Amino acid sequence: MRVIHYVNQFFGGIGGEDHANEPPRLVEGPVGPGRALAAALGKRGTVVATIICGDNYSVERPDDTNAFVLDATRKHKPNVIVAGPAFDAGRYGLACGAVCQIAREAGIPAVTAMVPDNAGIAVYRRHMICLPTGSNVAGMPEIMQRMAEMSVRLASGASLGSAAAEGYVPTGHRKDVMLDKTGAERSVEMLLARIRGAPVQSEIVIRDYDHVPPTPPLKTLKGVKVGIVTSGGLVPKGNPDRIPAARAEAYSRYDIGSMPELETGKWESIHGGYGHKYVNEHDPNYVVPLRSLRALERRGEIGSIYPWYLATVGNQTAVNEARKMGRQIASEFKAAGVGACVLIPT
Amino acid sequence: MGANRVVRGVRIEHVCGDPTLSSDGDRELNLRIVMTALRALTTRVDGPTIFDPADTEMREVAGVA
Repeated sequence: MRVIHYVNQFFGGIGGEDHANEPPRLVEGPVGPGRALAAALGKRGTVVATIICGDNYSVERPDDTNAFVLDATRKHKPNVIVAGPAFDAGRYGLACGAVCQIAREAGIPAVTAMVPDNAGIAVYRRHMICLPTGSNVAGMPEIMQRMAEMSVRLASGASLGSAAAEGYVPTGHRKDVMLDKTGAERSVEMLLARIRGAPVQSEIVIRDYDHVPPTPPLKTLKGVKVGIVTSGGLVPKGNPDRIPAARAEAYSRYDIGSMPELETGKWESIHGGYGHKYVNEHDPNYVVPLRSLRALERRGEIGSIYPWYLATVGNQTAVNEARKMGRQIASEFKAAGVGACVLIPT
Repeated sequence: MGANRVVRGVRIEHVCGDPTLSSDGDRELNLRIVMTALRALTTRVDGPTIFDPADTEMREVAGVA
């Protein structure tokens, strides 16, 4: 079994952060942690080459990095690619995820390893087999042993069992399987087990979303500048910024500085996940309630309204993209002195 | 989903109002929902909490309609 190993500039022995812009290079044989991988593989496989790439380079120039990885695979014809482990390094985790995805698309099995909350998992979980690690680099030999075992499994073409059974990070894919008992029988068994106090494992693992600590309440909104955000896809008629109807990765801002309300007919929702008739033909203030906020502004119940409303489409939006937009919106609002925000989803 | 202060809307297609109401009634409901959001912003919560516009005290509603 022929193995290509991917490492960053640090584990590749080139240098630390000051070498993070290093372009990728290809070295014969194992380097750094690749030696532990070679030892774990023993006679079962050979680390034929190592790709070493700077952390900045890999995330800033993904196309060039991917092309380099593909070139290396054409040259060395590996049976499997091993990336990392990246531990808790974010850029390295993203690079390892990208390498696994490009390898898989080229028909080459790949495995990586990192801590379960590495950004690489948030972005690439559906495209890679990733083993969970701690953040302590001292765990390297044990991790390399697990990566070696998984490499042998993957290269043999054997199909993997579930994430829970095989010990990799859940990829978010569901597989149909045949069971002897019907869903009704299994659910009654689960219910009875729960009543007995026996352990119960759900067949469908629901992704655990963030639990956000609530912000303390404002004492008053008098004098506070209020920002308006919507994920309901409300944009000026014609959608000048071409916000997509689904899977948006950005938001836009629209001037409402001197408007008393949003006028029907001048705005439209381009959201791909709900009927727009009422918003588009009846009242766009259903999604951006400017009229009511102006009334409250006149009455002095709020200080003022941020002169742009921010809009995106919340439809099949990836959690990491939503998180990114949230951070950008928060920093825009903070810089502008916005003290409170209303977000209208649909 | 991480949102701690949630106001109960009307329907997905018309979150902040109800087209079956009269124009004045619809505008009042829109204001009531927004006022509920302001009430939520000034209320302490320990976790995800739903605020119902029906529980919001209204004053000078005529200002909008």
